[in-house]
Amino acid sequence: MNKKETHCLLCAQLLQSEPSWKTLLTKQFPPCICKKCASRFEHAPSPTALYQYNDAMKDYLHQYKFLQDVALAKVFRQELQDQFKHEKSPIIPIPMHPLKQKERTFSHMEELLKAAKIPYIQLLEKTTAETQSSKNREERLQTASLFQLLPSVTVAYKEYVLFDDIQTTGTTLRHATEILLQAGAKNVRSFTLING
Amino acid sequence: MKYKGWLLPPALRDFHEGRIWLREHSPIAEQDLNQAIERNYFNIIEGIQQTPHLKCNRCHNDNPQQFTTFDCSKCRQLCVYCRHCLAMGRVSSCTQLVVWRGPRAIRPTRHLLAWTGQFTELQQQATDEMLESVKVKRSHLVHAVCGAGKTELLFPVVHFALQEGLRVCIATPRTDVVLELFPRFHKVFPRTTIHALYGGAPQQQGYAQLIMATTHQLYRFEQAFDVMIVDEADAFPYIFDETLKRAVHKAKTAEAPILFVTATPSQKLLNQYQNSSYSFIPKRYHNHPLPVPRYSSLWGYEKKLKKGVIPLKLKKWTEDRLTQKEPFLIFLPKVELVDIAVSIFQALHSDILAVHAEDPERKEKVLKLRNEEIPGLLTTTILERGITIKNVQVAVVGAESSIYTSSALIQIAGRVGRNIAFADGDVVFFHHGITVEMDEARAKIQYNNKIGFSL
Repeated sequence: MNKKETHCLLCAQLLQSEPSWKTLLTKQFPPCICKKCASRFEHAPSPTALYQYNDAMKDYLHQYKFLQDVALAKVFRQELQDQFKHEKSPIIPIPMHPLKQKERTFSHMEELLKAAKIPYIQLLEKTTAETQSSKNREERLQTASLFQLLPSVTVAYKEYVLFDDIQTTGTTLRHATEILLQAGAKNVRSFTLING
Repeated sequence: MKYKGWLLPPALRDFHEGRIWLREHSPIAEQDLNQAIERNYFNIIEGIQQTPHLKCNRCHNDNPQQFTTFDCSKCRQLCVYCRHCLAMGRVSSCTQLVVWRGPRAIRPTRHLLAWTGQFTELQQQATDEMLESVKVKRSHLVHAVCGAGKTELLFPVVHFALQEGLRVCIATPRTDVVLELFPRFHKVFPRTTIHALYGGAPQQQGYAQLIMATTHQLYRFEQAFDVMIVDEADAFPYIFDETLKRAVHKAKTAEAPILFVTATPSQKLLNQYQNSSYSFIPKRYHNHPLPVPRYSSLWGYEKKLKKGVIPLKLKKWTEDRLTQKEPFLIFLPKVELVDIAVSIFQALHSDILAVHAEDPERKEKVLKLRNEEIPGLLTTTILERGITIKNVQVAVVGAESSIYTSSALIQIAGRVGRNIAFADGDVVFFHHGITVEMDEARAKIQYNNKIGFSL
């Protein structure tokens, strides 16, 4: 995972990296996608998400999650690191159901954080293998609790940050927030890669 | 009494014979697949080979840059996967590939060749030579100019091979060509099961003795074909990608001959195939010479187009085509120029359209031009080959650009005058300076005309 990319991860064009004082003197990740591909992603106006859902993002999610291209976890590592490097509260990526994770062979949320070298903790586990994307809005809003606390963890009276890939109706994040608050968290914020 | 044993479902054999397939992606019911594996009907191969060096056992990619290592939740250790053939379903260290080694599918030897066309003398000679090569399992190069009737040349050879019970593959680098060839072969071989394979192709039933596929799809075959035909062998991306070349060799049996069919063979191919393994058709089927491109300078065309102005000569050319009601193709060297130019050209005629590689309506737009619903198309090199439009006239804008190699220019010029009723037409290279490639293209066309009409 740590090798330097010579070709764009998305379009396989040769990467032309121009060294600058910034990349030499600061701990920046080397680029792994070309400028043309990077420009197809649209930054989100909201402070709780990095990107807006668009065609480029749809292709990205398809290749990353459906075609299981783990290497794509690196695509947003610089942006994620910029976002989280001054974060003091513990970060909790939304977990996958163990069966789903075995099927996909990796947890896409954890890989994103690992690629960006951001420490995280896990307090939750998923109780159902159903996916939110298979349900419509009404079904999503009515779902019973999606998560429970991991056995033998304690939730401290402090702030936590939940991290998910995409927020559509917000059901997933709402369920996770409720569980943490009930268990004694002081406050729960959430952040997503994509605004749906 | 009910039979309690397990019978091999023919569909399983028909699908898997000749294929190298991800075990978990088989379209066959898992239970049957497991039964067949238990009975040793399959060779099971690990997805990624680690020693002596990393190699994907499906696409044979061995470029270390194209592999990624990660912590796998399935096998609970470090896993490697191949990014080169990712789109066909991921192959990683903990996935298994299955190759059929059970009984062979039944190959009918009665095939009908429903074609009543007539060959020209040169075509007849080329098919005879090709047939001779197939009989002695010798690879062969057919060098035939654009519009010589290359597809028809294949009919007798394919028919012979099918009747011998051989499995035949016609591979081409472009999906467009597969889509164009498939219906033609389907009509000519009405009793033969033919499958067309390309990215996004539907699932097709039965055992196909004749397969038309993009070269990419050959990654999924191993020692499957007894005759391998590579059409338009020089087309992008086949020339660039070494693994695609290896895929062609991997997909055929060791002794199977390869037949290359192209209008613009590389020097390497020409050196490799000579004498009895080389056929040359320098003349078109309708016995008229190839249109020779003419040069016309168009200095600073890019600047002018970006300013929203059509350079005068190009404007005049387009207006002439419009008044004479001749369909036209204008080739532009960059996608961005196509995007800019289309709105300016639409000021001349509102029905002029533009196509490029990622255009989902590409097929429909070409069809519209063929049916004379629109006067002309602006295009990138994507339409350089494989399309036939009656009485089409062609302009190449920026013929000096590096993407216009001599073979691309020959192919583009080859779009013109293919119909017997309109055997001539205008091919103009609008340029900002003349390149060696342009000269080479023109010289080769003139040479073919000279040879063709001195016989």
